[in-house]
Amino acid sequence: MSKKETLEALEHSIIMGHLDADDEGYDGTMEGSPGVMELVEQALDEGIDPQEVLSSFNSAMESVGAKFESGEYLLPDMLASAECVGDAMEILEPKLQEGAAGSGKGKFLIATVKGDLHDIGKNIVITMLKGAGYQVKDLGIDVPAEDIVEAVKEYKPDFVGLSALLTTTMIEMENVVNKIKEAGLTDVKIFIGGAPTSEEFAKKIGADVHCRDAMDTIEKIERIKTA
Amino acid sequence: MKLTDTQRLQWLSNDELSRVHEGSCRLLAQVGVKVTHDRIAEILKDYGAEQKGDRILVPRELIDRALADTAKSIQFDAPDASHGFTVDASKNEVRFGTGGQALYVVHKTESGWEKKSAENEDLSRILALCDKLEHVDFVTRPVECDVPEDQMDVEKAKRFRDNSSKPMNLANLVKTEKLDEIVEIIGDKAYLSFIVCLVASPLTMDTSAGEKMLTLLEHDFPVAISSCPQGGSTAPFSEVGELVQLNAELLFGYVLANAVRPGAKVLYRGIPITSDLYSDGSPRWCQPESIRRVALAAQVCRYYGIPCCGTAGVSDEEVPSIQGISEKVLSWSYEAASGAHYINSALGMLHQVMSVAPYQYVIDNIALGILKEEFASHSDREIGETAVQTAKKVLSHFGAEADETVEAELRSRIEHIETGKEPYTDEYIDKQISDIEKAATRQGGSNVFMKGARKGLREGYLYSGSRLDASLDLAPAKKQLESLTPEGGILYE
Repeated sequence: MSKKETLEALEHSIIMGHLDADDEGYDGTMEGSPGVMELVEQALDEGIDPQEVLSSFNSAMESVGAKFESGEYLLPDMLASAECVGDAMEILEPKLQEGAAGSGKGKFLIATVKGDLHDIGKNIVITMLKGAGYQVKDLGIDVPAEDIVEAVKEYKPDFVGLSALLTTTMIEMENVVNKIKEAGLTDVKIFIGGAPTSEEFAKKIGADVHCRDAMDTIEKIERIKTA
Repeated sequence: MKLTDTQRLQWLSNDELSRVHEGSCRLLAQVGVKVTHDRIAEILKDYGAEQKGDRILVPRELIDRALADTAKSIQFDAPDASHGFTVDASKNEVRFGTGGQALYVVHKTESGWEKKSAENEDLSRILALCDKLEHVDFVTRPVECDVPEDQMDVEKAKRFRDNSSKPMNLANLVKTEKLDEIVEIIGDKAYLSFIVCLVASPLTMDTSAGEKMLTLLEHDFPVAISSCPQGGSTAPFSEVGELVQLNAELLFGYVLANAVRPGAKVLYRGIPITSDLYSDGSPRWCQPESIRRVALAAQVCRYYGIPCCGTAGVSDEEVPSIQGISEKVLSWSYEAASGAHYINSALGMLHQVMSVAPYQYVIDNIALGILKEEFASHSDREIGETAVQTAKKVLSHFGAEADETVEAELRSRIEHIETGKEPYTDEYIDKQISDIEKAATRQGGSNVFMKGARKGLREGYLYSGSRLDASLDLAPAKKQLESLTPEGGILYE
């Protein structure tokens, strides 16, 4: 395969959400053929510059975004493509670091707050953020406020995302926000999300941003970064 | 409401139901449930379960024992004794009640509908209203209280005591240590029941919910064991896979309940809905495929011959509307016909489970009256036809012309509700179990289900028909609301 063909195959696999050879892809027919993970390895083995591989990721995700906007792609399609990029970045990132470039978008720490075991929204946000090139640290579910504060100190994220699905656990978000501020960690922007949350609730508890969904999260991060 | 045997639905053959049961048993034996509550793990091991890491594996014989032991009949008493009733698993009797801890109340104003955060007084007013509504058989806490968490249980108990004479389902117990005080306020524990969402899908026991369930069972309260997976995010997108997983999660609850108290007074509350994968993944409570799946869960429950807590009438609409009414009528019809005995969240609910509206309670009360008449007068008619005719009558009652377009849309939804798209074979069920295992045993596992939804989405698993969009005539509801609440406080107009 020529360099051009490899990168085109990689881009196509991302657009089709075809993670690896075990994955059936967009239309359920791609199992057995090389997916994104195999093609990234192949591209690097062939000596293709990691920055060019990264460019193919961006180009593919632009196509995916356009297909989602037009209604051709649905949420699982976009998520599958984003997961491909997120997982492939695990391979590519060290190579980019060697070249002193890095994807450099920013660091996002995320958790479902204590008392809440739900992670659908959180996982969608993680996948989309990784797909958009952010480094994401996932603390998981049912995470005590103290653990989140410690992780902020250690990981030094640009953004912290708090998730809750239940009306009975969303109140824990206020505790987390207070503890982050009490610890003097005022540089980090605090995002909240989850079905029962709202702009009004975010303001009430002192969070910086309320997000409706994963796309809204990415848009609001970009807005903050360019403000 | 009583149904005849001919009005009872069973979409799956006994062989297919048996395969669902066997699939759930395999799932519990092979994958089990993640349990991080030491005492509960010990209780289950003493009962015969096995521990593997942080998961409890449940052998088939424990499930059979729990199903044999569990109560088949549960009494719900009330301050006004005439409102008390018995849920008897062998009977075709249905009761309707409210739900479900909503955050917001939607009020009618001069300029339209306005959504406000629920306050204590809303709870009192809604309880008082529901006490007067003929078709509210029991009351599940409609809205949250705006008090600190440690005062929540006591506050709601006082408001139930002061405003309700019907069987009281307090839904979520917030603090187990408040239970004695709650009973003292209410005056008689026989009036009370609860809901516990024991397992967070897929297959992870909620430690706090487990603690609450232990306390409630030790005090011998009726408890609806609830699971509400969303196909495409917390469960397989496949109807078969979601049903197998849901059933396993509830059977785990039955094993725990009967390990703690043989003969436990627990109800099977399965709500296998779908995620809106056309947009943001939010739950679709009342769309045709969700109505079908929730109905199937009730049919699985009836296969076991145990008391069934249904859920129907949780509209996806944000304010009262013709579309919302149509969703509710179809949902009630199929849930009742599928064998639910005690239907929760049936009145007042909007915007999934986020809001309630005083007007909606009255609209639903009128609509349920019409539904009951239709079921009683046409006992030999197919349920789909009864649902269509009921919906047309209710829509007409609220000013919408039930023309050919409306009828075509209703029949299209009914076809989707009644038509299965997947095989209930062992091979297919094993494929679903494999996906569930992947999702349950790795972090971020919901992506497994969402990615697995791509093929099903293109095969039409999610209904995508037309919204019914006529204007709603509120006059009949306003008239009833004014007559029931002469002080006018609940109208907020």
